[in-house]
Amino acid sequence: MSALLELSGLSKRFGGLVALSNVAMTVGEGEVRGIIGPNGSGKSTLFNLVTGVYPADPGSLVQFRGEDITNREPHEIARRGLARTFQLLRIFAEMTVIENLLVGCHRQVEYPVAAALFGNARVRAAERRLRDEMLDLLDFIGLVDFAEMPAGELSIGQRRLLALGRAMAMKPTLLMLDEPAAGLSPVNVDKLLETVLALKTRYGLTVILVEHVMKLVMASCDVVTVLDHGEKIAEGSPGAVRDDHRVIEAYLGKEMKDAEVRAFLRSD
Amino acid sequence: MKTNEDQTATARGAQSALGSVASDPGYRWGAAFVVLLALPLGVANGYQQYLVDLIMINIVLAVGLNIVKGFAGQVNVGHVALAAIGAYTSAVLSTKFGLPFWVALPFATMATGLVGAIVGVPSFRLEGAYLALATLGLAESVRIFIAVTDYLGASVGYGDIPPPIIAGWRLDSYAAYYYVVMPVAVIGTYIAFSILHSDVGRVFKAIREDTLAAAASGINVRKYKLLAFVISALYAGCAGSLAAHMAPGFIHPDDYNLTRMVIVILMVVAGGLGHVWGGVIGAVLITLVAEWTRSYYQYEFIIFGLIVVLTMMYMPRGIGGYIDRRVAIRRFMALRTGKAAAKAT
Repeated sequence: MSALLELSGLSKRFGGLVALSNVAMTVGEGEVRGIIGPNGSGKSTLFNLVTGVYPADPGSLVQFRGEDITNREPHEIARRGLARTFQLLRIFAEMTVIENLLVGCHRQVEYPVAAALFGNARVRAAERRLRDEMLDLLDFIGLVDFAEMPAGELSIGQRRLLALGRAMAMKPTLLMLDEPAAGLSPVNVDKLLETVLALKTRYGLTVILVEHVMKLVMASCDVVTVLDHGEKIAEGSPGAVRDDHRVIEAYLGKEMKDAEVRAFLRSD
Repeated sequence: MKTNEDQTATARGAQSALGSVASDPGYRWGAAFVVLLALPLGVANGYQQYLVDLIMINIVLAVGLNIVKGFAGQVNVGHVALAAIGAYTSAVLSTKFGLPFWVALPFATMATGLVGAIVGVPSFRLEGAYLALATLGLAESVRIFIAVTDYLGASVGYGDIPPPIIAGWRLDSYAAYYYVVMPVAVIGTYIAFSILHSDVGRVFKAIREDTLAAAASGINVRKYKLLAFVISALYAGCAGSLAAHMAPGFIHPDDYNLTRMVIVILMVVAGGLGHVWGGVIGAVLITLVAEWTRSYYQYEFIIFGLIVVLTMMYMPRGIGGYIDRRVAIRRFMALRTGKAAAKAT
């Protein structure tokens, strides 16, 4: 497996607060990587640094397919094939469901801006083609019946699927999902798990997953990285990480007995 | 009383009328154009014809503002100032440099587009009320600059702007000028629709909805914000130039003050932000209201204030949004009665 995303010395301070400190990580092609850690451990910061939302501190290096993309603008990073979802989803509420996906297709649009102003036959043909493609994608994420509905009227679970679909519409090589299962019912978590596994097998995508729902992480990830207080404290297979005493300490403190911890980690 | 079938049919009619604009434009646009060509036949006198011309110019202005504000969500209080730049550029080119209207119009439009790019720069960092203040500052400086520059007629105004001339025929009557402004209004509206139904329109809306999510989708947010400002400025410049060359060929800095700006914003808000037809309807309505209340100009703002309050209370998304909602409800009701009928049989 060759490395798709390589992070080294990744750091970020907000004033006196160290959000992320000297994190190194290598994600191979075709891998599903989980990132876990207690609240405030720097998971979302890591996402935001990689995707260019915040500038990283000096000394940080983000390499994507061997190219240095540190502190590039978000759209430049997205264009290189790195798509993400947001914890707060950030779907385009006043646009229809299919329009949300079509925004994701922005870099696949073949006609120039000038053609869009006058709407010629070529534009209409290209639009129809993209629409058909997106209907297929809607079918895959199970929202095809809602295609023409304003996205703001979807339920929270459907919105999560839509956010995932919008990232998929970009035809990325690396997909970064920020807490895709937050607020989902157990049934929907199962559906999401299926979808993530399908992403891996059907589209050959590399996936990085920040998640609190352990069941999803344990079942879908090849490798799990654990962050705590902005530092990487463990990395390995889901099973190994689950039994790592540093991880247990980070999550639950030193007081709890191992058996209780295991029960907790397996419960949801 | 209407039967269910009637309702379904009307709902379908409305649906296809909306849908066909996207899918099969040429046909309906041609039909609308022919109807508009014949419009002066139904106009009683010169004053009414003047109103119709004014409406056409205001349509260009309002549809243009809708692109930057309604589609891309960027406040631009300087829209009327851009129209002033178009008007004065066109006036200077045709009087001091002797260029014909047909050269001055595209020149003034392009020049205003360039200024639009400058107006758009603050939008990289500012949003909402702050952006409104920045563009407001620009708008007022343009007006004051004109009012103190003797070359531009200062506060006396700029006159003797020639009308368009085709093969020696001066289009200085309002009826003749209609055939200059009407096609521009139709083309302007058509272009706004094309934008809305293309990738560019979607990108504008995505920027309006969530800038960060738009950027994460691979959209160069700055580039498209600028594009929205430039396109909108092209409309404003064109409308300004058209207004300058309309009889009596006289423009004044007070034509481009804040009052005018409020009226243009009102057109877009009452018509419906983000709705092309809304902008057109708003331009027609507000132009008429503004003209009819001219003799009670002391109360003009009471009337406009009332329109704003009533719009916000009963149609917060403007007339366009209201129509959209009616269509959606009808479609839903038709679907439900259809399902009920299927159950009964």
